[in-house]
Amino acid sequence: MPGTAAAAQEARPGALRLSGGVFTLSVLTLESPDAQQLATRLQEERQRNPAAAALLKNAPVVLDLSAIPGEASLALGEILAVLRGAQLLPVGVRNAAPGQQQLAGKHHLPILRGQERPAEPVAAPASAVQQRGALLIDQPVRSGQRVYARGGDLICLGVVNAGAEVLADGHIHVYAPLRGRALAGVSGDETARIFCSSLEAELVSIAGLYRMPEPHLEQWGQASQVFTTNEQLHIAPLGGRNT
Amino acid sequence: MARIVVVTSGKGGVGKTTTSAAFASGLALRGHRTVVIDFDVGLRNLDLVLGCERRVVYDVVNVIHGEARLQQALIKDKHCENLYVLPTSQTRDKDALTQEGVAAIMEELRQDFDYIVCDSPAGIERGALMALYHADEAIVVTNPEVSSVRDSDRILGIIAARSRRAEAGQEPVKEHLLLTRYAPKRVQGGEMLSIDDVQELLRIPLLGVIPESESVLQASNQGIPAIHMKGTDVAAAYEDVVARFLGEDRPLRFTQPERTGFFKRLFGG
Repeated sequence: MPGTAAAAQEARPGALRLSGGVFTLSVLTLESPDAQQLATRLQEERQRNPAAAALLKNAPVVLDLSAIPGEASLALGEILAVLRGAQLLPVGVRNAAPGQQQLAGKHHLPILRGQERPAEPVAAPASAVQQRGALLIDQPVRSGQRVYARGGDLICLGVVNAGAEVLADGHIHVYAPLRGRALAGVSGDETARIFCSSLEAELVSIAGLYRMPEPHLEQWGQASQVFTTNEQLHIAPLGGRNT
Repeated sequence: MARIVVVTSGKGGVGKTTTSAAFASGLALRGHRTVVIDFDVGLRNLDLVLGCERRVVYDVVNVIHGEARLQQALIKDKHCENLYVLPTSQTRDKDALTQEGVAAIMEELRQDFDYIVCDSPAGIERGALMALYHADEAIVVTNPEVSSVRDSDRILGIIAARSRRAEAGQEPVKEHLLLTRYAPKRVQGGEMLSIDDVQELLRIPLLGVIPESESVLQASNQGIPAIHMKGTDVAAAYEDVVARFLGEDRPLRFTQPERTGFFKRLFGG
């Protein structure tokens, strides 16, 4: 990533070197505070899809507590034990209510973006009201580079070349050819979209739904937008009548 | 204070060492005190291309490890007055290059020379990172084919993120594109990417185009930098490259297919 993580490095001889890094972690959204239920669900999931389970073996996961009401009693210790028993490595929690944050602290789990818990009960999609800052990249994103706009939109003024990867929790705008991989709404926001002035991407994805566009596609090389409706990914012209 | 120029590409076999030798010679021919450093530890080639392989006593690794002084390792080029070569070790590997050691050598050379040309190894590992770290300018050598272009794109990204200038937040490394092994006829036939295709993908200024030519092979086998092969397209193209690098305005040559002459056509060439 030009000028951010790498630039933060200090080339100073010494015992340690502090540098920034961007990691993609699996997020496990807890739907019930019951540890026993979680264990059963994990077991079912493993039997249903052994390949995916093998992939997740010893994988670091973030525990999303957004579905657990703040006042519900949460046996976090037991839940952690169940996860570790299932060969998952919990590395943090997010969307934790204040009481849950304290609990996580007791178990030495970092709070990740804990302040963004939507007001309960959830009425409107949280993303519609979420305040977003945008990350602006004014250089080409080149092969092998990875740019992630955490918690907001990503705007690329230069080309995103083949072999590059751009990710955002919000929308992705590319005002140049998009030739690499673009993943919008990576933390699950299905209303996120991808906009580009020429669609030549290796992969486009919104909230986990993905598609690998091919040159015979009608929108190939055209100004396009990518969005989802009803769990379907659509690629459409930019500036059409219905946009 | 010297300008440090890295000749790099990501991909191997595209003409980095040929270019380093020709480009450094061209700068020296124009009166600039120039040193060219081989960073390809373990795969020493630059000395062969410059025809000084039998004069290598000490190398850059010896200097880094304090086994020789820099002056002992520098070899004066036999073709031109102002050129020196700092060869690499054939018996060691890239781990022999240390950040501090390379920095110390650069600091010392900066005082004495106008240009330091760093011949990078292929790849994006330690050797290549060491070669590009100190650069003020980068010549990205690219062949007109997709894999070479993609690797050049990768190395440009690394230059933008991991060079000393990037880490210190200074003005970025000045990037130049050099297209080598360009065969206009094959471009016309659609077998090779055109200059425009490559520029559309990489989006950096074009420094020059070196045509595909047998004289490059002859030159390196004889240990003579290609720029000295008088009367060849390649020598003329490298001279243009040096001139453009030094700020002259020269039109592109050797980018159109050669027209077959009347007699050649008549007698079947």
